[in-house]
Amino acid sequence: MIPFTVIGGFLGAGKTTLLNRLLRGATGRRFAVMVNDFGALDIDGRLVVEHGGDTIALANGCLCCTIGDSLVTTLLALLERPDRFDHIVVEASGVADPGRIADLAVLEPRLRRDGVVVMVDAGEVRQRAADRRVGDTIGRQLAAADLLVLNKIDLAEDLPGLRRLLAGHSAAPILEASHADVPLDLLLGLDRRGQAAPTETADAFTSWSYEWVEPVERETVMTMLRGPGRLRAKGIMRFADAPERRSVIHQVGRRLDVSDDGAWRDGETSRLVLLGVKPVLGSLQRE
Amino acid sequence: MTIVVYSARRILTMNPNRPSVTHVAVRDGRILGAGSLDELRGWGKVEVDDRFADKVILPGFVEGHSHAYEGGVWKFPYVGYFDRISPDGTRHKGLKSIDEVVARLQAFEKTLAPGASLLAWGFDPIYFGGRRMDLTDADKISTTRPVVVVHSNFHVANANSTVLAKAGITRSTNVHGIVKDAMGEPTGELQEMTAKYMAYRAAGVEVAAVLSDEQAVWRFARVAQLAGVTTATDLHNELPESTVDGYLRASASDDFPIRLLPAFAAGSVSPEQGIPRLQGLMKKNNDRLRFQLVKIVTDGSIQGLSARMRWPGYYDGTPNGVWNVGPDDIDRLLLAWHRAGFQVHVHTNGDEASEVAIEAVERALMTAPRWDHRHTLQHAQMADAGQFRRMKALGMCVNLFANHLFYWGDIHYARTLGPERAERMDACATALTTGVPFAIHCDAPVTPIGPLFTAWCAVNRLTASGRTLGETEKIPVADALRAITLGAAYTLKLDEELGSIDVGKRADFAVLDDDPLAVPPGKLKDVGVWGTVLGGKVFEAPK
Ligand SMILES: [Zn+2]
Ligand SMILES: [Zn+2]
Repeated sequence: MIPFTVIGGFLGAGKTTLLNRLLRGATGRRFAVMVNDFGALDIDGRLVVEHGGDTIALANGCLCCTIGDSLVTTLLALLERPDRFDHIVVEASGVADPGRIADLAVLEPRLRRDGVVVMVDAGEVRQRAADRRVGDTIGRQLAAADLLVLNKIDLAEDLPGLRRLLAGHSAAPILEASHADVPLDLLLGLDRRGQAAPTETADAFTSWSYEWVEPVERETVMTMLRGPGRLRAKGIMRFADAPERRSVIHQVGRRLDVSDDGAWRDGETSRLVLLGVKPVLGSLQRE
Repeated sequence: MTIVVYSARRILTMNPNRPSVTHVAVRDGRILGAGSLDELRGWGKVEVDDRFADKVILPGFVEGHSHAYEGGVWKFPYVGYFDRISPDGTRHKGLKSIDEVVARLQAFEKTLAPGASLLAWGFDPIYFGGRRMDLTDADKISTTRPVVVVHSNFHVANANSTVLAKAGITRSTNVHGIVKDAMGEPTGELQEMTAKYMAYRAAGVEVAAVLSDEQAVWRFARVAQLAGVTTATDLHNELPESTVDGYLRASASDDFPIRLLPAFAAGSVSPEQGIPRLQGLMKKNNDRLRFQLVKIVTDGSIQGLSARMRWPGYYDGTPNGVWNVGPDDIDRLLLAWHRAGFQVHVHTNGDEASEVAIEAVERALMTAPRWDHRHTLQHAQMADAGQFRRMKALGMCVNLFANHLFYWGDIHYARTLGPERAERMDACATALTTGVPFAIHCDAPVTPIGPLFTAWCAVNRLTASGRTLGETEKIPVADALRAITLGAAYTLKLDEELGSIDVGKRADFAVLDDDPLAVPPGKLKDVGVWGTVLGGKVFEAPK
């Protein structure tokens, strides 16, 4: 199953900046990125290996395609392509509800819904949220977020006030950033060629790995996952209440999925990797 | 070249200098004159053709808002509540209960190849007293192949268990658009993006191509021609190469019975890409195919609860609808296409959407003044008198969705808009008195293409249940007929070329069995269409 991430947020919130970073970054992953407009992307022409009418293939294995008029048919066409991708990222339009788009991954057996990341323009969101024509659209986007990126904090006048405003709309953790500079591993997950192993993370964030040989109490793990500062988690667990089963944990921001993945395999150990804000996880380590 | 003079019981010209004549002369596919036989003989040797002697001739009808997709869906069985005529002229009886729909599709299912999916369209449960289709019904059609029954609004569909199982949809699937019953079990009814995704998953993406290939364009043209239409729009298309090829091949044939105007989907690419693309396509224009229109879709639909409405919003308290293209992008797209000299059609159902579009035009005109832009609001169903005055002041046109009054008027009255706004929706009389140039439309395949029916709606304003929706917004038959001919042509910037029977214009006629000005207004929709004439070529409708 291919992880499926939706990047939402109003016009000007920094979605394109983020996608540019993603396509340029040497993450070693093959992204298929569905965007609204090629023109806005900043792609080095030397990296382009093929330019079709509505797709651009890059030397690093990534593919961009324009959504055009129909997200549904564009996505289905993408899934029919022979290329294999490690991750599909969709740029939601500035007025779309990104949660609805993420629903497609629930309906599509070839996809795994990863997360909904909503970008927020710190300089504009207050005014936009109060606008009678788009305020409700902003509200729906915030409510749909698993993770919020409060971008352009260099332009923010009252950061604590903004945090309160966002918290009023959404229970999602907030990452603060300028120029959409957020660790991509945080946004897009820990999968690296099938392994659960985080790599370099920016200073403010850290990762923490756990391993258990014996079955683990479910509640112990849930408590670890639910605390503040946790941004992402991935794990394969043998819970004490279901010791014969492989329980797969997948958390993006406020969204936590625990799914069954067949019988427990002998010789395996329970493993969990958490990503989060450094001071919080630091204290977790001490506990 | 030969001059053919057609005699008729009456010819309604839409030319105020000679509103009603008996003869029309045609040469080289164009109208040489309209008047008496004696007058027309002055042009030289004429051939008199009396085949329309007992018919009534009008300018060919112009459908300013339809979709060629209407031709695409006829590839699949129609299961709607109302009778509908298919491209070959067959009348498909409306199905009056869910059981009738199931029976019809059970019979159809037997004709399908093993493993093929079953897709049907046009289903409309709003007339079944609250009963919806559920899995029990859909599974009676088949439990071995995917079944998807698309509703008449094209935003909702019913699927069978096979489809749900394939997607792993169960009671625990938490996705917007999966309808569940009181016990929390999925009923098979799917809405919005979920419906669309599952329909395409069941039928295969290649269905998208089938819906707009050359054959679909032919079917669309035929179904339009049967209704007396000689010019029709395909009002919103991304215009991929395959579709353009289909248009070009179909319209190259002398037998292609309409003039087709596709509107480029402005929101699908940036104007920097879109403008040169459309300019390039315009070089391929021919007599029966005209690239020149652009469309922006701003909001959803009123009955789909997705229209963007001003305060106080939906009558039943439903939250405001959704933007397809938001206010900032409407401004940006409209200005770019406006600057490039195009006429822009803007889909606005709710009054907030209309307001945003009107203001976008106002700003575009401040930035780049332009005369005779004729930017047109499409639908503008909730526009009030003030918005019409603004449209007038800005030089805008409007194309009102008169068919809605009949098909969804009762719902608008009771649920979505409430009595007051339902009675003034699709305000043709306000357009008329305000002086906003206007057309009326069907939005096929959302409702069937049939300008005489659309005119009947604007004249009588009757809902499906028989309620009169707004006495004061009724318009006279003559004005309604103008709206489906010259009025619509004006909103497409084709009024100098067609839309009336006048010297020099194209010889495009609708040939009717009766005189629409003489029958009682309540019978307008029942006036028979004998056929059409396109550029002097006669197309008889199959009986
Ligand atoms: Zn529309
Ligand atoms: Zn339409």
